Amino acid sequence: MVETLQNLYLGFSVALTPSVLFYAFAGCVIGTLVGMLPGVGPLAGISLLLPATFGLNATNAIVLLAGIYYGAMYGGSTTSILMRIPGEAASVMTCIDGYEMTKKGRAGPALAIAAVGSYIAGTLSVLALMFLAPPLAAFALRFGPPEYFALLVLGLLVLAYMSSGSMPKALAMAALGLLLGMIGIDTMTGFFRFHYGLVELGDGIGVVPVAVGLFGISEILLTAGLPTPPAVHKPRLRELLPSRQEWRDSAAPIGRGTVLGFLIGIIPGSAHIISSFVSYALERRLSKHPERFGHGAVEGVAGPESANNSAASGAFVPMLALGVPSGPIPAVMLAAMMVHGISPGPLLIQQQPELFWGFIASMYVGNVVLLILNLPLVGLFVNLLRIPYPFLYPAILAFCVLGVYAVNQSVVDVWIMAATGALGYLLRKFDFETAPIVLGLVLAPMLEMSLRQSLAMSGGNYAIFVTRPIAATMLFVGVALLLLSLRPLLTRGADWRRSVGLEDKRALGEENP
Amino acid sequence: MMTRLLTLLSTLLFVTAAAAYAQEPFPSRPVTLVAPFPPGGVADLTARPVAAAMEKVLKNPVVVVNKTGAAGAVGMSFVANSKPDGYTLLLALSSISIIPEADKLFNRTPAYNMTQLSPIALISADPTILVVAADRPWKSVKEFVEDAKRRPGEISFSSSGVYGTLHMATEMLSHAGGIKLKHVPFGGAGPALTAILGGHVDALASGPAVVLPHIKAGKLRPLAGWGAKRVAALPDLPTFKELGYDIEFYIWAGVFAPTGTPAPVLKTLRDAVRQAVEDSEFKGAMAKLETPIAYMDAPEFQKFWDKDARMLADAIKRVGRIEEKK
Amino acid sequence: MLTRDRVAGSILVLLAVVTAWETRRLPLGTLHNPGPGYMPLLLALILGLLGALVVLRGGGSPPLRALRWSEAGHAVAILAGCAFAAVALEQLGYRLTVIVLLAFLLGVMERKRPAVVAAVALGLSFGSFFLFSNLLRVPLPRGPWGL
Repeated sequence: MVETLQNLYLGFSVALTPSVLFYAFAGCVIGTLVGMLPGVGPLAGISLLLPATFGLNATNAIVLLAGIYYGAMYGGSTTSILMRIPGEAASVMTCIDGYEMTKKGRAGPALAIAAVGSYIAGTLSVLALMFLAPPLAAFALRFGPPEYFALLVLGLLVLAYMSSGSMPKALAMAALGLLLGMIGIDTMTGFFRFHYGLVELGDGIGVVPVAVGLFGISEILLTAGLPTPPAVHKPRLRELLPSRQEWRDSAAPIGRGTVLGFLIGIIPGSAHIISSFVSYALERRLSKHPERFGHGAVEGVAGPESANNSAASGAFVPMLALGVPSGPIPAVMLAAMMVHGISPGPLLIQQQPELFWGFIASMYVGNVVLLILNLPLVGLFVNLLRIPYPFLYPAILAFCVLGVYAVNQSVVDVWIMAATGALGYLLRKFDFETAPIVLGLVLAPMLEMSLRQSLAMSGGNYAIFVTRPIAATMLFVGVALLLLSLRPLLTRGADWRRSVGLEDKRALGEENP
Repeated sequence: MMTRLLTLLSTLLFVTAAAAYAQEPFPSRPVTLVAPFPPGGVADLTARPVAAAMEKVLKNPVVVVNKTGAAGAVGMSFVANSKPDGYTLLLALSSISIIPEADKLFNRTPAYNMTQLSPIALISADPTILVVAADRPWKSVKEFVEDAKRRPGEISFSSSGVYGTLHMATEMLSHAGGIKLKHVPFGGAGPALTAILGGHVDALASGPAVVLPHIKAGKLRPLAGWGAKRVAALPDLPTFKELGYDIEFYIWAGVFAPTGTPAPVLKTLRDAVRQAVEDSEFKGAMAKLETPIAYMDAPEFQKFWDKDARMLADAIKRVGRIEEKK
Repeated sequence: MLTRDRVAGSILVLLAVVTAWETRRLPLGTLHNPGPGYMPLLLALILGLLGALVVLRGGGSPPLRALRWSEAGHAVAILAGCAFAAVALEQLGYRLTVIVLLAFLLGVMERKRPAVVAAVALGLSFGSFFLFSNLLRVPLPRGPWGL
């Protein structure tokens, strides 16, 4: 403990030097700007800007990249809340309630709570990273394909809690999303599936263009042609800050989101994307007024945003503690380290204490910088909404095209965005939810691959899921949760669904054939 | 009337501009070096020092652009189908030979043909090495192979994907040693490494640079290398050839141009690369990446590539289509 | 009797059938060793079942005629703009594409004054290009004449 504090002191002494502070600040600003581009999330942000860091020394480069990473996460929530355009795949859940809050004139509080929640989550998770990195990393490594599969199955159960309308429709959307995730090269056998000659579809349909299209573009399509443009709400200064009730409502979701996000984030792989989905479902399940979700419940912003940020720190645990490339973002950071001559590995902490502790300290600093940067900007951002909609939406459209193209330098992504925009428009006309599609799209490839990898490992034997302790536990928990949630259905029928806000109030009033 | 005049004028302008472009000495515009893998990967990390060094030699911007997708097929087919004027180049890994073969195996129209690309120079060639998880009992290749013969299809290895370079290397070992191993593919070299570090698979064929820190920390044990010579960073590690297995495999990186690029342009590019690899900054960058430079000019590289491609094609045909083997 | 949900559900069932048909070329494998066609077929079946469920329960939803499509024309124009952007982005370069897109949306669709349209289109296109491509080094395509 004392040693850790001493090391942290060392880290802060590195982090608080002017040059490091400068790079952390620069990284945060750049990251926020880049993150505000629709679709450009943290991964795209640090990938795009990685080359720019090659001329710097190692610590500055890593600090800059970490700042960009965090900044992109904060920036992504801004567009989600203000314009219903997900900054990245993980911000999709924030779009739902965040935008509803904006429509009610509560954009300022939404942004503020998102910023504060992200700050708390970021700081707490960095603390956890600091003290618990080595043992957590060892635990995280024990997640192999069977455990991954069990986790993703749990993630699927989340779907049941995400919809506010008809259950079959939401499940159908999830199935559609899962099917869309099947497009691309099958990693296990090398077959191309549903690619119709387009080599760019080899990696499947990207989540980013689909998320931007389904949420952002469809919103524009639905709103732009309305005879009366949407009312512009001019907020007063007092309305920029969250009310006391909103603070009270957000406290517990922030706490839960932090813990949940961190735990999901440490698992190697890309599962941390689902942390915001799971947090949303959890908050909805635990809320006393679940019918508010989907209509501007502040818990629906606080929870997912916090989960996002702590998952981001969690993703660094295996990377820093063991030098394991535990996901695309840590892999880029590892590459950045390698380029600067640092070979990351289990001995990183011992061999490069300045780098490790400097990195940790810079994450604290980054979180503070971003909070300071974002809170005053809330007023500025909200004023952006006062631009008349006929001018606003073409600009948003241009930025969507820019962002979606920039992620992969691919025009095919722009096409996908346009196509899913049209699809989202039609779906919303027909009263279908679009969020399950994104979740299905994210889960499908990982789910299928980990199932088949597990079967490859066990030679086709399904028992592998029960003989491995972690996997068995998670599956058991999942089955238990499913049965528990079905039990009231059997005993009390429709009342259960109404009580968790899953019934579409409108549907209850219509009975005309 | 006005429209026609405008059209005539614009056509004239275009023609003049095009003619002007055609006569300018190469290079007069920025050259694009396409890296078909995401930033941070081996191809990308090799491409950037190459581009920087070439820029110094050519006194002309050389920009790295990542065109990712389909294990590199997107970027590779992009360059293969682009105009052969020397302004679009490719930095590809040995997987360039695999993708067309795999396409043939599945009766697909190939994304590109190897004849569409002409080699300019080889930059680096890392021999793959075989590592096993440290807690497994095998201390030498002999023990490994014997155990594999005793329990065919039980010892598992991870790879970056079916028909990927790491899969093919291990396949060649299986063929040469007469053993059957269990293949668990992952979606990239990173996840494959994570899997073996977590003990979920027994073995992995990998480029030395990424596994070196884990070997030093005692988490992975190297058994042998696929190179003709021993790996510089691991002087005690025998090569498979020394142990009697006639296999050689490198994960190499080379620069390519679309076939049909005019000869003088090719010569300029070849000279540029030859001088670029001598540049001290380039050498420093590659040393930091722990990737030895293994320069070969176009003619030798073509021979190397042909031989390597044949070897890979044989391995792919042997592996066949996965689901037909059950 | 054509209600909204029945139509939607039927479309989903159709999609499921088409998908299942498309998987015929992929090897199915077995339960213990699923092939590339296994999950897609399974998912197509599930989608079909759910679609059928939506149709069956669809009697209570509003009739198809009740859907309002007033903004559809506008939406189609915007989508056409997006399609244009997709086609033109790498041919004309980022700046030109954005100028045309904005000019179309602001000038033609929203009928704003030409001076305003020009100012916004040029400003946004060059401004964003400068910010992202020059300052932040995000690679953006350049068209003819380096634009």
